[in-house]
Amino acid sequence: MFWTLVEQVLNGIVSGSVYAIVAVGMTMIFGVLRAINFAHGEYYMLGAFGAWVAVEYIDLPYPAAVVIGILVTALIALAVGWLIMQRIVGATAETGVLATLGVALVLQNAVIFIFGGSYKYFNGGYIEPVTIFGFMLAEQRVLIIIVCVLVFLALEAMVKLTWAGKAMRAVSQNPLCCEVVGIDVGKVVLQTFALGACLAALSGALTAPVNVTVYGGMGEIITFKTLPIIIMGGLGNVRGTFFAAMILGVAESLVATYIGLQYRDTVGFATLMLVLMWRPHGLFSTRARF
Amino acid sequence: MSTVARNGRDLRLPFVAVLAALAASLPWLLGSYELHAVIVALTFLLPAYGLNLLVGYTGLLSLAQAAFFGIGAYVTALLAIHFQTPFIVNLLASGLIAGLIAFPLGVPALRLRATSFVMCTLGFVIIGQAIAKNWISVTRGDMGLESIPRPSFPLGPFSFTVSTTTGFYYLSLVIAAVATLAVWLIVRSPAGRNMVAIRENETLAESLGVPAWRYKIIVFMIGAAFGGLGGALHAHYLTVVTPLTFQMQYSTTMLVIVLGGGPGTISGVIFGSFLFVGLSEALRVAPELRMIAYGLCLLAIVFRFPRGFAPLIDRAWRWIGGER
Repeated sequence: MFWTLVEQVLNGIVSGSVYAIVAVGMTMIFGVLRAINFAHGEYYMLGAFGAWVAVEYIDLPYPAAVVIGILVTALIALAVGWLIMQRIVGATAETGVLATLGVALVLQNAVIFIFGGSYKYFNGGYIEPVTIFGFMLAEQRVLIIIVCVLVFLALEAMVKLTWAGKAMRAVSQNPLCCEVVGIDVGKVVLQTFALGACLAALSGALTAPVNVTVYGGMGEIITFKTLPIIIMGGLGNVRGTFFAAMILGVAESLVATYIGLQYRDTVGFATLMLVLMWRPHGLFSTRARF
Repeated sequence: MSTVARNGRDLRLPFVAVLAALAASLPWLLGSYELHAVIVALTFLLPAYGLNLLVGYTGLLSLAQAAFFGIGAYVTALLAIHFQTPFIVNLLASGLIAGLIAFPLGVPALRLRATSFVMCTLGFVIIGQAIAKNWISVTRGDMGLESIPRPSFPLGPFSFTVSTTTGFYYLSLVIAAVATLAVWLIVRSPAGRNMVAIRENETLAESLGVPAWRYKIIVFMIGAAFGGLGGALHAHYLTVVTPLTFQMQYSTTMLVIVLGGGPGTISGVIFGSFLFVGLSEALRVAPELRMIAYGLCLLAIVFRFPRGFAPLIDRAWRWIGGER
């Protein structure tokens, strides 16, 4: 009984890590753009598909496939960022919503058009189970947790120490002042957007072996799971996003086990609403950017 | 208007007459498939009007419209199947119940600012769908409710049932016309001007004695009622209701209609409804590329016409009126 609970919490942390890597990109993009990116889950899908193509058609080993998945997504994200996201800077919230919805439609259906809408078996990754403290856990799941922690440590270091990271923080605080002191806002937006998309792609490529299949519509679900996370985490707050993602991952896993699998996908929004009633600005401060 | 320079050919009245004649004779001009698309456009016009009151006039970006659309559809289906109530009762009950349900949802949601409000309203759709899927004793889950009767009007000796596409077209046209009139009366009343004041600057509006909070909750309820009406019409037209009536895609379609058409205008929303439903149906000629093309059109419209088509319609209207 107790061990089931611990096991489910562990599972929750794994899915929490998956969400966290996607959501952190989304929250950083929100920070610099002030726009909700309804297309963000599509980059998760693109990463997974890139890796699938590399494994299936080019016969590359899994680590190389992950890199390919991220690179392909980065190229697409740069194009989308240059054509569309840069134009959203300073536009109304409505423009951001419509434009990113349009991007989501185009990306998702382009993949379905090229590869078909069916589920595809993902043949790769490290699915051998390992035993840690008496728990059986697939290697891939352990890898996801480790990568998640590394990503967050790297992001913390980047936004604190590097020039690019400081520029991102600056733009998220006041784009106009950035222009005054000579920070190229458009460039920072493009960089942040590409970085966020690459993180989503990384998450997608890492999760594909656990999910076993990839399909064109997989990104939409991830978009709707990460949206409550970024709000709960305090929009633009990297550390808050990490904790919110973990809370949601564990909550989902517990609900799926003890209440019913069919309620799993509503946990995010139900939790969000409860949290918002209690704290209308999310669990974590929106002032503590990055 | 009298101060505007005119060149002597005010064609607005004839133009409206031609439009009305066109609307009345549409079943003879179009095939049954095109007529079906027009009915869908008229159905979506109702929730779009509700959303327009929210986003276009009061400045509340909401994605909850599909939730109220779904509630309306289920209310109508349950009433019609279990109690065989006439159409008009179903329609009004759907609007009323959707509006009433909006109250407890709106009270916490409207306390939230911008992005959080959008997400909260999105949550209503997702949770609505989960309820429709899992409350099996009432909604029959994924099987949905089927064989909803065609709209009937028990008027004693003049009783009739609308069962043809043509008949349904006229029914939707009448309902859409009544809804248009209702929205027009709302937005040009002092209340409508107060809504615009809240959109432009809520703090300033409150300082001038506009009870912003009360306005927002009432507009949210009216918007929901319009969503419910649309759902009821939709359910009677399709004769089936499934949990997929609570679809995010419906919410986004309604948002696209309002924002792409012209938020804060009536003509823009009508135009948007026909444009986007028509576009979506016309693109069925290339089913594989349909959604890609739809997405590209959406992007083009967002950046080419950031304020929707309302300014264009306005210009055309003045041109018809003979203004120089």
